[in-house]
Amino acid sequence: MNAKKIIQYLAPFTIVLIIAVFIFDIWSNGSIVHPGQAGYKANCSECHGENGEGIKSLVPPLNHADFAAKNIDSIPCGLKFGLNHPIKVNDTLFDGTMYPFDTLKLDEVQIANIINFMNKEYFNSDREVTPQWVIEQWKKCKK
Amino acid sequence: MQQTTLRQKTQSLVMRFFSFLPALCLMLASCNFNTRLPVYGPKSTVEVMKDGRKTIDSVDYALPTFQFTDQDSNRVDSNTIHGKIFVADFFFTSCPSICPKMMKEMDLVYEKYKANKDVIILSYSIDPNRDSVARLKHYEKKIGFESSKWHLLTGNKDSIYNLADKFLVSAGEDPDAPGGHIHSGNFILVDKHRRIRGYYDGTKEDKVQKLMDDIETLLKEN
Repeated sequence: MNAKKIIQYLAPFTIVLIIAVFIFDIWSNGSIVHPGQAGYKANCSECHGENGEGIKSLVPPLNHADFAAKNIDSIPCGLKFGLNHPIKVNDTLFDGTMYPFDTLKLDEVQIANIINFMNKEYFNSDREVTPQWVIEQWKKCKK
Repeated sequence: MQQTTLRQKTQSLVMRFFSFLPALCLMLASCNFNTRLPVYGPKSTVEVMKDGRKTIDSVDYALPTFQFTDQDSNRVDSNTIHGKIFVADFFFTSCPSICPKMMKEMDLVYEKYKANKDVIILSYSIDPNRDSVARLKHYEKKIGFESSKWHLLTGNKDSIYNLADKFLVSAGEDPDAPGGHIHSGNFILVDKHRRIRGYYDGTKEDKVQKLMDDIETLLKEN
């Protein structure tokens, strides 16, 4: 068999394979990524870690963190005004301060996305919050 | 099939070699043969007597001597850094923004060189009035490291700010900044003669990796 015939025979299969890889690529990049992931990466991961692991006893973890999972309702206020009191996370005391994100101008949609991302990824929870819920929590903030 | 002659074979071999030549050149160019690190800062000139005649000699920029106190109340001065390479940065314990990330990255440098007595780390507090020895000790415990290797330093505020100037980095008070202070996030590599040999963004993993590569280069330097 000469080379030309082999190429002619294989060409349709190659095209099908390329299309399949292309479709898989769009599917795996497009639909699996949570909308809150980019917000988490841009605003939280520097200190709380790419995988929510925190930094030693300086910055508390978020991944499987009992404190954060129990206090989801207070997260919108914590992000807006910062945290300035000691907290106990998974039996470790953290007494540092958290930057108030109000200065970064994160809006209710971005914060709802980030909380939903953390619910799913770090707290094993199906709970979904809405931007309206974030605004409701903000009204209750003790500044 | 046509029979190829020896002449054709050698020709095609030579052609092949030449077609690889640009790639080879690129590969060689990407290797860094000049491994000597630069010396930062302005050179100064001095008059020296050489063979009974006055001549002008240029001198590399070097950091001045200093004296501060670390988290164990020990004095850290020229004797501490004598004959050692050190990595310096500026921070403060109540810093809510870039410091935790810088500490995480510096901890990697610490972990790599904790057994090497030729390398130490100095972190200067730019909020020395609040950062007492006790506070620095508390901060050390949060990260967990050996104080003889990684000194957290406090002292006279003006001296620290003056030293930051000499390190050619910015540090200052700013009521609008988170935590009330602004400072450079750079890690600074200093050689045995107190000369600055590199600046690295202490919040970026790849830059800190470069710092560790450069420490290796500097350790080989006499």
